[in-house]
Amino acid sequence: MQYFMQLLISGLAIGAIYGLIAMGFAVIYKSTGLVNFAQGEMTMITAYIAWTISTTVSGNVFVVALGAILAAVVLGLIIERVVMRPMLGEPVFATVMVTIGLAVILRSSINFIWDAYPHGLDVGFGRSIVRIGPIGVRTGQIAVIVTLLALLAAIWAFFRYSKIGVAMRAVAADDRTALLMGISATRVHALAWAASSVIAGIGGVFFALSYDLSPAMFQLGLKAFPATILGGLDAVLGSGLGGLLIGITENLAGGYLGSGMKEVAGFAMIIVVLMVRPFGIFGERDIERV
Amino acid sequence: MRTGDFKQTYGELVTLVDSPPVWLWSALLVASLIVAPFVLNSYVLSFLMIILITVVGALGLNILTGYTGLISLGHVGFLVTGAYAYAILVSKYQMHPLVGFLGAGVVPALASLIVGAPSLRLKGLYLAITTLAFSFIINTVILEARWLTNGARGISVQRPEIFGISFDSDAAFTYLCLGFAVLTLFATLNIRRSRVGRAFVAIRDNDTAARVMGINLHAYKLFAFVTSAFITGLSGALYGIYLSFVSVEGFPFLLSIEALAILIVGGLGSALGAVLGTVLIVLLPEATRLVFSLFSAQMDALFSIGAQELKSMLYGLVIILFLRFQPRGLVGAWHDLRRMWVNWPLRY
Repeated sequence: MQYFMQLLISGLAIGAIYGLIAMGFAVIYKSTGLVNFAQGEMTMITAYIAWTISTTVSGNVFVVALGAILAAVVLGLIIERVVMRPMLGEPVFATVMVTIGLAVILRSSINFIWDAYPHGLDVGFGRSIVRIGPIGVRTGQIAVIVTLLALLAAIWAFFRYSKIGVAMRAVAADDRTALLMGISATRVHALAWAASSVIAGIGGVFFALSYDLSPAMFQLGLKAFPATILGGLDAVLGSGLGGLLIGITENLAGGYLGSGMKEVAGFAMIIVVLMVRPFGIFGERDIERV
Repeated sequence: MRTGDFKQTYGELVTLVDSPPVWLWSALLVASLIVAPFVLNSYVLSFLMIILITVVGALGLNILTGYTGLISLGHVGFLVTGAYAYAILVSKYQMHPLVGFLGAGVVPALASLIVGAPSLRLKGLYLAITTLAFSFIINTVILEARWLTNGARGISVQRPEIFGISFDSDAAFTYLCLGFAVLTLFATLNIRRSRVGRAFVAIRDNDTAARVMGINLHAYKLFAFVTSAFITGLSGALYGIYLSFVSVEGFPFLLSIEALAILIVGGLGSALGAVLGTVLIVLLPEATRLVFSLFSAQMDALFSIGAQELKSMLYGLVIILFLRFQPRGLVGAWHDLRRMWVNWPLRY
């Protein structure tokens, strides 16, 4: 039982990270209609920038957090303006392929800008262990679960009440009508890229806090895929919750069935979900009109 | 004076090549490729081998992605299954190499049925994600099934000897690859101009309309998957023989991206495009290295340190630039050039 609880808690923690990145996928899909295959790489770059700030400027938690968020915003905006905006109006296949190209470029740039060795992100927080009953939990793991829940609430409120949130939903639902209503689609897209980069970047920084930075971190994006498929590509909140589910499944599979299963549990789940409910648990069914 | 490209019968529209000189040039190309192994040194010859092997794989993916419009991000999964099927049959169970090649086609084709069947309900991005998942699952399966695949240690493969002809030397192996490449090229060109190929293209252009016209979507999509996996598996077997060692590390995920880059650079849905794209993508890292080494020895050193990274960066850059500025690929550029040549100084 204790073993099970331990697996469950660490599954929740890693699942919260997947959930954050999955929300990044969903924010972009919801407002632009494409899957950003470079999400994992953007997450990785944000985490590396956070590490650079912590080693060169200051190791203070708030400085690092603020710097990482700013960096993520800039990264998202640059990518949207330079790479994605010229592709506006092109077929989805071409645009998605562009994000794949971008992913490959960002992934290899890590080795040129930083190096190929693993680093620990040390901000004097996150690695100490708190005991809840018989189970030991790292403070970083608690923090990431709390952050995910807080962000879920904030995003729900944002899409429900704020004017910009409503505008984003309008563009997602029908971009032509939204344009006629005076909403700038390009501005909404830019905002979506920045927001997605920040949300996923937070996940990346938390990953670096609890585990280590390495050039293989982009695989977080691949791990978060199942989460966003499970929750529904167009469901931001669903993707966050999907992340938790995938994290738990993966950890339980790894704990009881062997480490090989841990790697593929998420992907096996994708295939099952896509067969049963291709639009995800919380996603909307796509109705095609001829 | 030739004023345009007019077809009067349906037969003319679906001929293999639409003008006789193309046969002449193709024959010359094949002849020069046959002479090549005697002229070229082994370094250049290795590029020729890689190009021929990659052409087979790219043509395989072209059937699925180019003709039928189903995006696959997991084609490396079929490549690795084909390579392992050949290695296990020939190296482990000492079977005839031809049986090995047959297995290298059939095993991935069976695997493609497993991936293809659930994917039939899916379109576009979802399909790309399932195939991506497949390529990761297959790697784990191979690593776990140690009794069959030796796990992470891999299997070493000898160059084959078929009917007393040894393909051990580089020149002979190049001929083997050339044979496979030419056969695959004819196979895909003929698939494209047959009833099946027209069904594939109809599905790509508008699947709802295709269905209304009586095309069985499930059957044709599965058929595209199986054919594509069969050909890709053969390419995997050749690549395994070329590496003389089959392991999961020999087939990184980057190969899937490389294959898509080839199709995009060449021009989606064209066999000629797949060939042109392969030549460009395979030679691109080497060509870039040459250009940079002219400038300074420092750049040359950079290439030897981060060769893999620079290669993937180049692929990414080429994908983005082509999609942005020449979405029809090299074939599109070639058609534009040809039209300009005929019509100049008029625009059309």
